Amino acid sequence: MATPSDGSIFRRRSLFKAAGLGAAGAAGLPFIAACSDIESGGGTSQTTEGFDFLPEYKEWPLPVEPDLVGEPPNHPSGFTTYPEPVPAIENLPSNSGTFEITVPMWGEAPSNDDPYFQAIAEASGGTTVNLRQADGNTFAETSVQWLNANEFGDGIMFFAWMLFAHPNFQETVVNSFYDLTDIVKGDISERWPLLAGLPTASWGQSVWSTDPNDPETARVFAIPGSFSGGSNNAMFARTDLLEEKGQALPTSVEELIEVARAVSDDANGRWAFGGLDYLTPSWFGLAGGDGWAYIDGKLVHNCERPEYTEWLEFRRLLWDEKLVHPDIPSGTLDGQALHKAGTIVFQLDGISWWQGFIDQSTAEGTGGTIAPLGALAAKGRKPLVHVNTSVDSWTFLNKDLSQEQVEEFLDFCNFASAPYGTTEYELINYGVEGTHFTYGPDGVPVFNEVGTTVVQAPVNHKTMSGHVQQFLSGAPDMVQARFEYNASLKEFAEVNIFEGMRVEGPADFKSAGQVLTDQQNDIAFGRAELSSIPDMVETWKTNGGETGREHYTAAYDKLHG
Amino acid sequence: MAQRFRHDWPLLLMTLPAMAQLAVFFYWPSAWNIIAFMDYSPHRPFWENPLVGFAWFERLFNNPYFLPALLNTLKYSFANLLFLFPLSIVLALVMHSVVSTKVRSVFQSIVYLPYFFSWVLVVTVFVQTLGSDGLVSNWLLGFGGDRLSFMSNPDTFMFLAWLQWAWKDAGWGMIIFLAALASINPSLYEAAAVDGASRWRRMWHITLPGIRPVIVLLLILHIGGILTVGFEQYQLQRDAIGYQTTEVLDTFIYYRSVIGTEGASFGTAAGLFKGVIGLILVLIANNVAHRLGEQGIYQKS
Repeated sequence: MATPSDGSIFRRRSLFKAAGLGAAGAAGLPFIAACSDIESGGGTSQTTEGFDFLPEYKEWPLPVEPDLVGEPPNHPSGFTTYPEPVPAIENLPSNSGTFEITVPMWGEAPSNDDPYFQAIAEASGGTTVNLRQADGNTFAETSVQWLNANEFGDGIMFFAWMLFAHPNFQETVVNSFYDLTDIVKGDISERWPLLAGLPTASWGQSVWSTDPNDPETARVFAIPGSFSGGSNNAMFARTDLLEEKGQALPTSVEELIEVARAVSDDANGRWAFGGLDYLTPSWFGLAGGDGWAYIDGKLVHNCERPEYTEWLEFRRLLWDEKLVHPDIPSGTLDGQALHKAGTIVFQLDGISWWQGFIDQSTAEGTGGTIAPLGALAAKGRKPLVHVNTSVDSWTFLNKDLSQEQVEEFLDFCNFASAPYGTTEYELINYGVEGTHFTYGPDGVPVFNEVGTTVVQAPVNHKTMSGHVQQFLSGAPDMVQARFEYNASLKEFAEVNIFEGMRVEGPADFKSAGQVLTDQQNDIAFGRAELSSIPDMVETWKTNGGETGREHYTAAYDKLHG
Repeated sequence: MAQRFRHDWPLLLMTLPAMAQLAVFFYWPSAWNIIAFMDYSPHRPFWENPLVGFAWFERLFNNPYFLPALLNTLKYSFANLLFLFPLSIVLALVMHSVVSTKVRSVFQSIVYLPYFFSWVLVVTVFVQTLGSDGLVSNWLLGFGGDRLSFMSNPDTFMFLAWLQWAWKDAGWGMIIFLAALASINPSLYEAAAVDGASRWRRMWHITLPGIRPVIVLLLILHIGGILTVGFEQYQLQRDAIGYQTTEVLDTFIYYRSVIGTEGASFGTAAGLFKGVIGLILVLIANNVAHRLGEQGIYQKS
């Protein structure tokens, strides 16, 4: 062991001291310099109506009228027949640009080389839109960093429910995305007749303010997706499996539990349920959206209501009785595959799974029939149905694009907005005849296996911009059933207490909400006891819940006076 | 000084590429720690971000999930130190005493190859064998037993984590100690044997002192990284086990800041806290090592 030489500047103690001094100095410097409060992430609220700079609405006449006429928005009209498609766009633009748009993708992403994408590029007038497909399950969260790094290609698509994950989405929007106002303002029906045919409310919901406190700074930042009213999610039952066990579709939560007990067989690998985290709160009358309900003169969050405990008791009961797939907590199961295989009898999914199941089980020959559960409620209460309150999605463009590029992309969106009954719609939604689909005996397109994997993806060009009108379409029996299903739900539709306004919660409210979700799962999967709910709610209140209530109450008061 | 520089300049020159690499990938990113003291937004010029002093640290320490995450981190770190570190040494000693080269190389490969598997693979293998729908569960069901809940039981996660460390990392630790063992002069053993020292005596008086500097060095490095217990192992099993058991500092930062809504400054503050604690621990451990007469992590000229 060498003795340390005294001449060395790296003597042990002096290094220690120097490090300590440096750390203290570095830490003290900003403390002296300033000691103001954190202002970012305080949340915003802004109106989405009454703008004078939106595209002028000009009705785009439909080529065919729907044969099932509903009451939009919560009870949309539908088609049970397939009309001979007609072209929607008369003057095809001549473009040659290439765009790369980031989109969420559930399941296996198809290759961008498929003839489907080439056919779309040709039919749209030469614009190639390549999809950068990212995992839909983590899209909302991971997109925060792509946006910060400006690494999302030429544009990015978001579903309306994905915005919760962003600390301050308003700030992101106005700083990262192209301001479309000057391009789409006024009469655009000459160049983009289909975009001019989108509802004014859809465009209004695509407006963000640079300064949320100053209404004058409001601008259009996005191309709105479709507005499909009604419930967007459903609990789908394998009716064939229920029949096998002599069970009928349950009509209340209590019946559902009985049916679940009858169909589950833990030892032989069959369970009633997979995921149960969303939609199920509505069975107990809990609010949708950000979880606020206006009760007795004030805003009350779901977790503060007695029904919240009932809901968690329900989830825990199903878990304890082994009616839920035991690996569901891992979050890695492919619920749709399990549903097709009959491993789980009830699948909680987006409403598009109805058609998806029919297409996939037909193409793969796995068979089976499904139907969604109607509006359920517990203890004989009146059911509540969460319905869509805004456009389904938005496509945002990168602010670095040139005006010519944006205009070309709007050409493409104009093409993608073509409604049911047009050749454009057929190409985007079904692909190329013979390659991706064939006409069935009743004239309705039926996917083949290639079509199922490439075209039937839940997100691609068909969600790039909204259809001028959104209809129920697909297999005629399904359309008929879905039409009746919507009719049965509409009287229970939840009233949106923030209609006409977009409220973004403060960052700590969102963060407290994420923690609450984690704790809910702990209880639902037997890792924590139901008795811990009061503590959870207390923690939630002190760590963002009360801040959130103030924020949402202020917005509510502004709206309702 | 000038003379030493004349003498050593080629050596200094040779450190330049490493210094450049460190500067680009370590010192420059480290400089951005300053945003822990700012109300930082990526959307405004850097200098327009207001300084907020220790406000973010205040938020960090007040966050009800910070302390549990810190305690979990320490728990796993000390468990790793107590139960895995000695295992590596024991494995190395066992290996060292195996004479047959054939047995030795087979054993060595089996034990250390899992180190090169990613955590995704390790966790998947565990799920496939010990999961509730895995090999063992289905085998048990065949005998009329029950499914294992081992992979989703928070109460036994510590044991599960230890099994995973043991399978994945123990072999790698062994290799380092084996290298140290190989450097012990065999004539010492021969001389001791001639003097009539038993097997245990030889281990106590020759083997262990021989690898002591390496043990101390690794211990110091380990203590410096005591708040860094790895990320993937906990992140991958978070959904199955629940966050209360698996939340460590790194996953806390990831879920609250990187993909969460607390913002970049919050995560940076947490990272800086981790780094400062690590630095202090290394210096303390090094100091203790010097006092005990070991070389420690750096040496004076």
